[in-house]
Amino acid sequence: MKYIIEFSKTGTICYTSHLDLLKVFKRAFKKAGIRIAYSQGFNPHPKMGFGQPLSLGYWGLEEYVEFETVAADPSEEEMTPQDMLSALSAIMPEGLELKRILEAPWLRKTLAAENIAAEHMIEIPALFGDADDIRARFLGQEQILVLKKQKKKQEPVQIDIKSKIRELRFHVAEGTTYIDAVLDSGSESNLSPELLINALTECFDLHVPRSEMNVARKRLIFKEQVQEALSKS
Amino acid sequence: MIDRELDSILKRVEKPARYIGGEVNMVKKDPAGVSVRIGFAFPDTYEIGMSYLGLQILYNILNQDDAVYCERVFAPARDMEQLMREAGRELYTLETFEPVKNLGLFAFTLQYEMAYTNILNMMDLGGIPIRRDDRIREEQEKGIHYPIIIAGGPCAYNPEPLTDFIDVFLIGDGEELLLQVCQAYDYAKSHAAGTGRSVRSVFEDRIASMDGVYIPSRYDVHYNDDHTIREYVRTSETVPKRVGRAIVKDIETSPFPVHNIVPFIDTVHDRAVVETFRGCTRGCRFCQAGMIYRPVRERKPDTIIGLAKQQLRNTGHDELSLLSLSTSDYSDFENMATELMGICKQQNVALSLPSLRLDSFSFRVLDEIQGYRKSGLTFAPEAGTQRLRDVINKNITEDDIYGAVRQAITLGWEHIKLYFMIGLPTETYEDLDGIAQIARKIMDINYDIRGRKGGRFRITVSVSNFVPKPHTPFQWEPQDTPDDFIEKHNYLSQKLRIKGVTFNYHETFTSNLECVLARGDRRIGRVIETAWRSGCSFDAWTEYFHAEKWQEAFEKSAQQEGFADGREMEAFYNYRRWSEDEVLPWDIIDPYVTKEYLIKEAHRAVEETTTHDCREGCTGCGMNRHTECFVNRIVK
Repeated sequence: MKYIIEFSKTGTICYTSHLDLLKVFKRAFKKAGIRIAYSQGFNPHPKMGFGQPLSLGYWGLEEYVEFETVAADPSEEEMTPQDMLSALSAIMPEGLELKRILEAPWLRKTLAAENIAAEHMIEIPALFGDADDIRARFLGQEQILVLKKQKKKQEPVQIDIKSKIRELRFHVAEGTTYIDAVLDSGSESNLSPELLINALTECFDLHVPRSEMNVARKRLIFKEQVQEALSKS
Repeated sequence: MIDRELDSILKRVEKPARYIGGEVNMVKKDPAGVSVRIGFAFPDTYEIGMSYLGLQILYNILNQDDAVYCERVFAPARDMEQLMREAGRELYTLETFEPVKNLGLFAFTLQYEMAYTNILNMMDLGGIPIRRDDRIREEQEKGIHYPIIIAGGPCAYNPEPLTDFIDVFLIGDGEELLLQVCQAYDYAKSHAAGTGRSVRSVFEDRIASMDGVYIPSRYDVHYNDDHTIREYVRTSETVPKRVGRAIVKDIETSPFPVHNIVPFIDTVHDRAVVETFRGCTRGCRFCQAGMIYRPVRERKPDTIIGLAKQQLRNTGHDELSLLSLSTSDYSDFENMATELMGICKQQNVALSLPSLRLDSFSFRVLDEIQGYRKSGLTFAPEAGTQRLRDVINKNITEDDIYGAVRQAITLGWEHIKLYFMIGLPTETYEDLDGIAQIARKIMDINYDIRGRKGGRFRITVSVSNFVPKPHTPFQWEPQDTPDDFIEKHNYLSQKLRIKGVTFNYHETFTSNLECVLARGDRRIGRVIETAWRSGCSFDAWTEYFHAEKWQEAFEKSAQQEGFADGREMEAFYNYRRWSEDEVLPWDIIDPYVTKEYLIKEAHRAVEETTTHDCREGCTGCGMNRHTECFVNRIVK
């Protein structure tokens, strides 16, 4: 059976990586007595995964983990989704909050394959103009060029990220500029918030160290059918 | 909690999860509700420290006491240290982010000598003066109270090189002693007030006569003109002439952790682990662990299996390992291993059994648990000829090895790892030739079985440099000089140019320095401090080890300590044969294995006479005058 759990990752635990988080869940399933299905072959791995990896240091407010279970031993009672949720919630480390669980027989591919966009909140502790002005100036550029590291080549390549920005809103309060950004995400087209931050830094000549900024992923957006199924349940 | 400053630091360092705590099973207490706060410090990085079972054992015991809060402290990696120093951020505990300076006790575990500079660095990073004298002066003059600095673990069996820095050493098993020490500190805190005495002195009085407690400030050392030690003089009647070690008589009833902390990040060993027994009966003459962990004390099979099950349940680990000095020497090994295999298979848990003696049962087990993903198979003959193996009392014959290798290759193993030591007492170049011969013969066995091409089969020969250690029959031996080692490495490199054989060896000067730190006396404290002040830390890490800075430290310290120069000082500790009659720096510690026994063994070594495993009959090491040997052993 396939299940999806919605959770959030906030606070100190954000300093763990995507792979660390995968292990936290893997061990939690084992502790909670949830029997995860394994892939066949020489290197069996548990059938589980995230909606999209969350970068180290980012908060995640509406994250998803999917997993597949095998039938319980005849001697044991089958766990209900609610049983699983409460067993897991009891053993999660601080900062990981499990919000809901849903059965997902309708999920054909992995969640990651269904992901198309993500909404982020970027927090920059600096003022560099009125919200409307900076938005107009930033999006008014014909191209938004940034340097991107290539996987194979040594030299970074200049790319235009403008078409990957779906929505961008600015909000200014108490010396901080907040940027709400819906960006392409997933395997088809992807834009890391880091590149957007670089573009903003360049455009407004910011002198704020990256370590003073915060990023939270507010939600993941999936292809229509999956999105509907997630919001229905 | 994490404030903005720390947050900004964590965003800039590698693997920040090492500095945040909050792992599954971390103990949370209200610091205001306890009377003793102790920092348990491992003087290396988080990944290494969290793989050390002793930490989990003592953390569990101390935190079971409601009056005590034990918190963890590790050495920050270089990038973190630099940012902390720039920001003026002091070293803190992972449980509460409390600066270590504010704790009552700060306890270091001494697992290897090359971590000594990290201890000074961690104290300094915590805003604690590294020298005891300076701390006491500030206490008296300014009323500043620093934590009492404690150190224990195997290297505390020669505490002398660290006596300038540490207040109290704890020798032997820590399970009972460390809690007693915490309780004594609690007592001192509540009884010192109004007496005009310091908490420190009431505390030290309270623990002074306990087995395993060494308070270096209560002894003076006098030296002879030839630099050897004349005598130890007590400056207080409260302390014993020789400090005996703490012994847990029966580890079966000693608390063992089942709610182990599970790190977020990958550590050296991410697994459930149960200690099956403590001590070793084999009596290898170079091995310090084989002497200082005596006698053998076992846990019962049902207890081990129960602990393993509980740990797996509470951690969610997918690997289980057993810990001891020699896995197969557990008295009911076959039954226990068979049962554990069944449990692991059922729970999808990998079983890892280190240091197996390779008999037919072990092969069945290994074949079963490793399946078609066979890792390398390791043998530790330690020496290249039977003669030298008899000298060191390593009772493994070449026939044992070749028989096992033949079986291993037949079962599909493709990688054999061989461990040897060079620079052993009485060694000649014939013994080095023996190393190459063993590698060559194993290659021949493979050709014999797999045919002329030999498949993907390969051998790794790893050679370490012999370091004579305190409390062993070889404690008086001269060590090879760096030049001797280099010459031997070069010789072996030539001899081991065999297709399919990889040859590794240890950095030379590291082994020579390890020897000075292992056998040093109080005069070595100055060298350690000088090296640290010139920037040495993480000396166990090849990339951070600076031989030239250490050599300078010897040069700078030598004359102040009465030596002509650094070279003479190094030679005094390393390259001379120590006399059986001289006072050894570590004689202040009584490991209960007698000096007479060590001398007898040293003489038998020269005579190339082996000594049998003491399970076959007592060999008279002296241990049974203090405690019972073979507790819980199952005799069939």
